[in-house]
Amino acid sequence: MMDGRATLRVPAPSRAPAARPRHASTDLAALGEPYLWTLGGCLALGIAMVAGLLLLVFWNGALTFWPQPIAVLELAGGERLAGVETRGGTYRPRPDVVAALPPTAQAVVAQNRGLVERTLYRTGNFDLYGDDFRWVSSFQIAGIQYPTDMLFVERLEWGVFIGRLRSFQVGAGEPVQAAVSDAAFQAAHAVARARAQSIRAIERHEIGRINNTLERERLGARRVAFDHGEGSGEHQAALARLASLTSRLEQDYAGLAREVERLKAMDAQDRARFADVGGREKEMPLSQIVRLYAANDLNAVQQVAIYLARWWEFVSDEPREANTEGGVWPAIFGTLAMTLLMVVVVAPFGVVTALYLREYAKQGRLVSIVRISVNNLAGVPSIVYGVFGLGFFAYFLGGSIDQLFFPERLPSPTFGTGGLLWSSLTLALLTVPVVIVATEEAIAAVPRSMREGSLACGASKWQTIRHIVLPRAMPGIMTGIILAMARGASEVAPLMLVGVVKLAPELPIDGTFPYLHPERSFMHLGFHIYDVGFQSRNSEAGKPMVFVTTLLLITLITAMTATAIVVRARLSRKFAGSQF
Amino acid sequence: MGRLILPAATTIVCGILALAAANAQQVDPKLASYQTVSGVSGNLKSIGSDTLNNLMTLWAEGFQQRYSNVKIEIEGKGSSTAPPALIAGTAQFGPMSRPMKAAETDQFEKKFGYKPMAVRGAIDALAVFVHKDNPIQCLTLQQVDAVFSKTRKGGVDKDVTNWSQLGLTETFADKPISLYGRNSASGTYGYFKEVALFNGDYKDSVKEQPGSSTVVQGVASDKFAIGYSGIGYKTADVRTVPIAAKAGATCHDASEEATYSGDYPLARLLYIYVNINPNQKIDPLRGEFIKFVYSKQGQAATLKDGYFPITAPIASQDLKELGLAN
Repeated sequence: MMDGRATLRVPAPSRAPAARPRHASTDLAALGEPYLWTLGGCLALGIAMVAGLLLLVFWNGALTFWPQPIAVLELAGGERLAGVETRGGTYRPRPDVVAALPPTAQAVVAQNRGLVERTLYRTGNFDLYGDDFRWVSSFQIAGIQYPTDMLFVERLEWGVFIGRLRSFQVGAGEPVQAAVSDAAFQAAHAVARARAQSIRAIERHEIGRINNTLERERLGARRVAFDHGEGSGEHQAALARLASLTSRLEQDYAGLAREVERLKAMDAQDRARFADVGGREKEMPLSQIVRLYAANDLNAVQQVAIYLARWWEFVSDEPREANTEGGVWPAIFGTLAMTLLMVVVVAPFGVVTALYLREYAKQGRLVSIVRISVNNLAGVPSIVYGVFGLGFFAYFLGGSIDQLFFPERLPSPTFGTGGLLWSSLTLALLTVPVVIVATEEAIAAVPRSMREGSLACGASKWQTIRHIVLPRAMPGIMTGIILAMARGASEVAPLMLVGVVKLAPELPIDGTFPYLHPERSFMHLGFHIYDVGFQSRNSEAGKPMVFVTTLLLITLITAMTATAIVVRARLSRKFAGSQF
Repeated sequence: MGRLILPAATTIVCGILALAAANAQQVDPKLASYQTVSGVSGNLKSIGSDTLNNLMTLWAEGFQQRYSNVKIEIEGKGSSTAPPALIAGTAQFGPMSRPMKAAETDQFEKKFGYKPMAVRGAIDALAVFVHKDNPIQCLTLQQVDAVFSKTRKGGVDKDVTNWSQLGLTETFADKPISLYGRNSASGTYGYFKEVALFNGDYKDSVKEQPGSSTVVQGVASDKFAIGYSGIGYKTADVRTVPIAAKAGATCHDASEEATYSGDYPLARLLYIYVNINPNQKIDPLRGEFIKFVYSKQGQAATLKDGYFPITAPIASQDLKELGLAN
């Protein structure tokens, strides 16, 4: 929102006349100085708050991916604990807890007037411990070390593992002791990762193609049954075709499945054995390891490399582990596609409405009522648009489309449920008042003399609008569209009703016919923030992801708005050149 | 366990009792390992419980790893959203953190002529959370009722509004209890009302939260708070309070052992409801998904999400009822 607002053409505040004579006898209030200062102070406060919020998001978001050192704590009871320091605080332990402490520790607590520091460590290893964060009070800690062989292992499943590498084995070979920096280990890891990717490629693309074809043919046969009747000649023929196709594709599938089996068997053999700080061992396939590094043994270049690799993973990968890890690519794509589709709908619709209202409609009571209604539309809570979108677009329009065009897929709805198209249309409705109002203002600002000049030269009304009014009004119209875009991209509430989901791994545009799938549900960065922040299992681990995703959303909206502003500047320049 | 009024739930817990000896944090080894088959593709949509939201996502991710052409969309805004979605056909799966009510089953039956089938996918111990510095050792269900309910059907005659009444001293003395709970669309809300509030009504002062995780975050940031949520959402900033079924009974923490043995009074099953016509064979897409949920790999996901896996007898009983047993 903020970005959009910043682009408004606010008339520059009229500057006070220079060096106004000031009489000591004049009352300050009469001069208006206190009001001026109050207004200025309020503005400064507002700007400071916005800047502070942005700074907070930026700071937290930008730091999340930086590799942090792993501390190994020696606890008073002799237990050892390894973890990454997350945050700290002070608290007042209960008297019985303090009483049970050794005298030296008691003295320290007493010195701090009963307050004790504690730190939250991210210990990882959820599969071994059943939790992944632990609070440690300062009096529990007997010693802290930062051993260079402690590894931070990011895995495909179960979250982070913190521990040491014991050994690894490739194929049927014997386990080999290794350090993480050994070339042999790194090569084995790279091979395993590449193999896992090729398994995924076969499963996703080749087997996927077979399954898609089968599904399409099965639906096709059902369609024939709908059109020509069950058991009719055409239906029999379609079923026969389906059967022959099925048997042929089953063979292809069997071949691919064998190949996948073979690769998976190889994959299962390449394993690494790790041990946590207490010596408990954990074996995992090498392909399960996304990234591992000795967190206490990194130089600056390696740190930057890990930082950048994590960012890249975040913006280009799919989410894992119920959205708390991996990337947000589907959400970025969903946000962009939804916003662009919305602009495509809202721009012509808003501009045409405004043109008619301003240029053609007879100005009278009716037009005033319409104008007031449009202005009021902008004040309707966005969730109301969501309810309307769900009821009208998804259930009524979409349901009718399904009945007419996709009867073979019922009862599973195609368009009869939330999707990208319905979301875009709902947001278009939500933002259309902004465009209408901005366009009307822009059109009204075109000087009357120019229209009259055009008409006097013999141009028709439409020609005047097309060649004189619209080009002059274009920058104003663009401003409206930019505002609409910023509003639309940051809106989440109505989307939750009309098509945004927690997990939609399939993008609305892909390589399967018909390439554009506006009926699909999609993921959205705004909803992703809500989901990770308030719905994920471990809200502690989710918190940094919330900041990163917010940072990304702000960046994305800024980028989209900036693009539109550049376009607007081009248009203004072009128009400025053609002035009389 | 007398509090689990629903017969289905009672049978389950008996089934669990038989296998209480299962290893800690381990999936029942008798569960079948999942075998990938061919020809599975299509779209699935799940609408329902927020408690099951992450678990459904984990299952969907696991299933999609095996069938890359299956698209599963997941929406979780509360258990009460599941029956309408199943009836309207907008979803194929309706995860619910409570059993369907009779009225919901009737509506479904009116439309389709048969009852919806329930997949018992995981076991949850509904936990009562307090701030990590809160020293409270035990609460009886009746005390919980007096804290959360204005009707107090549990039989405590005095309203409990501050921590002193629960025996806390020092910093907690005379501090008012701040209540966090779920919104009424949630199955957790319904289950807690039924079991912990003895079907009484919640106090108006309960701060209703839109998600299970929000409850935990609320409790984590409010030192004098108490709230209820699925055990899977526990963080390092909150503690679970051990619960006793009645005054004088032993307190049990929401541990795996106490949940399986039935000693923990707030244990419950998590369901996925499906529309299966008993006269037809289930389509391979949904059938395979259900089989995956009951498999070793599927149940490992329950551990990953902080819940407890179901046992082999439940799985085989359900698979038989759903017509999926081999």
